[in-house]
Amino acid sequence: MHILIVEDDEVARDSLAKALREAGHSVDVAGNGLDGLQMASAAGVDLAIVDRMLPKLDGLALVQSLRATGRKLPVLILSALGDVDDRITGLRAGGDDYLAKPYHMSELLARIEALARRGDGSTAENNTRLKLSDLELDRMTRRVTRNGKKIELTAREFQLLEFMMRHSGQVVTRTMLLEGVWDYHFDPQTNVIDVHISRLRQAIDKDFDKPLLHTVRGAGYSLREDE
Amino acid sequence: MGPDQRFLGILDTSPFRIAIVYSIVFACGAAALLGAVDFAVSRVVDGSTDNLIEAEVQGLREQMLVLSRSDFIELIEQRSQDQDVRGAVYLMVDPQLRPVAGNVPAWPKEGNEDNWFYFKVSVPYGDETREHEMRARPFHLPGGYRMLVGHDVQERQDVKSLMMRGLIAAVVVTLLMGLGGGFWMGRRILAQAGAISAVATQIMRGDLSQRLPVREADDEINKLAREINTMLDRIEQLTLGMRTVLDSAAHDLRTPLNRLQATAEGAMPGLAPGSAERRVLERVTTEVDHMRSTLDALLRIALAETGTVARETVDLSELVASVVELYAPASEERGIALQSSVAPGATVQGSRQLLAQALANLLDNAIKFTPDGGHIRVLLRGAGKERGGARPEVIVEDDGPGIPADKREIVLGRTVRLDQARKVPGSGLGLSLVAAVTKLHGARLILDDACPGLKVSLKF
Repeated sequence: MHILIVEDDEVARDSLAKALREAGHSVDVAGNGLDGLQMASAAGVDLAIVDRMLPKLDGLALVQSLRATGRKLPVLILSALGDVDDRITGLRAGGDDYLAKPYHMSELLARIEALARRGDGSTAENNTRLKLSDLELDRMTRRVTRNGKKIELTAREFQLLEFMMRHSGQVVTRTMLLEGVWDYHFDPQTNVIDVHISRLRQAIDKDFDKPLLHTVRGAGYSLREDE
Repeated sequence: MGPDQRFLGILDTSPFRIAIVYSIVFACGAAALLGAVDFAVSRVVDGSTDNLIEAEVQGLREQMLVLSRSDFIELIEQRSQDQDVRGAVYLMVDPQLRPVAGNVPAWPKEGNEDNWFYFKVSVPYGDETREHEMRARPFHLPGGYRMLVGHDVQERQDVKSLMMRGLIAAVVVTLLMGLGGGFWMGRRILAQAGAISAVATQIMRGDLSQRLPVREADDEINKLAREINTMLDRIEQLTLGMRTVLDSAAHDLRTPLNRLQATAEGAMPGLAPGSAERRVLERVTTEVDHMRSTLDALLRIALAETGTVARETVDLSELVASVVELYAPASEERGIALQSSVAPGATVQGSRQLLAQALANLLDNAIKFTPDGGHIRVLLRGAGKERGGARPEVIVEDDGPGIPADKREIVLGRTVRLDQARKVPGSGLGLSLVAAVTKLHGARLILDDACPGLKVSLKF
């Protein structure tokens, strides 16, 4: 994936570029908003990571101008500002996701993967049936089966599984789950998400040989077929 | 607001009430004035009529002494016919009260006061006749004959009834004008007050850019609105300034933290897992995480306290149920029974995220301090009709150690007590954030003894 980083903090920019290259992406960097807008408008960029406070052109203005030209490129906004409302302003300006500094690289990489997948449309939002290996989920009938056997889930477990299946093969972080499933944007002090995941794991993996729900150390969880 | 309510609303306005009071006072004044005029006029007119009659009686008495009865009768007849003396009435009757002479057809029935007679006589008036009111004085003639001398007082009566009608009309018109004027002014005031309160509601929801509507007029309401607007300008400046300070503080702290995190994480892949250097870097990132969560909490507290958070209608019932549901597995893991009773349909104006975090902090704390196998109760007493329109109340109760009564103030203190907080695991800002969020929503936070344990209630 070809990723554009628009960030004026050199240290953060360089480590981000390095980490993205190590993750197998090609990277372009811009140090101010105007250069960033120009480069983002060019073809060939698959995704942009834009800092909110930039010299010459503010990050939000950059995204707004980009959207005004009809460019649909996925954008992740990084912000060193407060929160609560800043997040909403960022998404309203046309950002697809929002991450506050300081962030874990694993969190950022997971979000980029999710954004890229959303962008190429390979997981149709409207798909009513989701399938991974022998695990099937039907959004219409709200029925989940594994290997043809019906699995009973609570409403929340169903939502959690649906979110995981939409992002199957990717790493999903705890904050992504909290945002995507509960619509909460804060870090709980206790390991509430882990307990929910272990419940779900009990339900879908317990009676089967091949586990599908994996813990990714230091990052989050992943629903995938083990090769 | 329906038309009926608006109508009733006008009746409640102060201009309407003032107008009603004034018009009643003016009506009373008009009544008193006309009453006084009437009294004075009657006295003057009555007095002159009475003098006239008394003089006539005196004259006739003298004539009676010198004239024979037949001459006297002739004199009476003459006077009765005399058109120059308009309105004078005479009647002479024999001892059987049969009329002998005069221009009154019959001796009136008793109706005297202080020896005065009041009676009606038909008087020709153009083609028809009219009943005229008479006032007369009776006196005795020799031989059992009696005489009545009086005067037409109908004119006086006409003036009196005209005045009475004028008086009633004046009172009614004064009252109607007062009512109409009051209604008109009340409607104006209501329209202006309605516009002001609509804007005030928006301002309370956090939109500080709104200003009260001001008209050209220089009355006290417009003056007040202008002053409030000036005050709002100042408040907006202050909160914007505060927000800017917060944002730059956040920026100046988050940027170096981010560099630290990025540098540490960037260096880690090159180091063998478990090596001393890697362990140091892992500790660095853990500490960055702590600093980040403390910074987040502090910023949210500051944001909540400056009140610069966007507001929306929050479904409190849904929120409480969902936070309880989020924490249910975690408490079950610890063998803690988490019970909840959530009344449906409770809503508040505010920030869903901040409310969610406040509730999450309360449950975090409850789970943290409740011993394994303990109990936590979450209660939402709904708003609405069944509680007589009471505001919603959220209660979180645990049977942990609780907070001693003398320490409760400290936990809720307006300023964040970092020294106190450091002794408690976690960022320790949990309850401070709850306090700030509660205040932002105009609610009251009450810490109480659950006997044993802590009872926290949020009264909206």
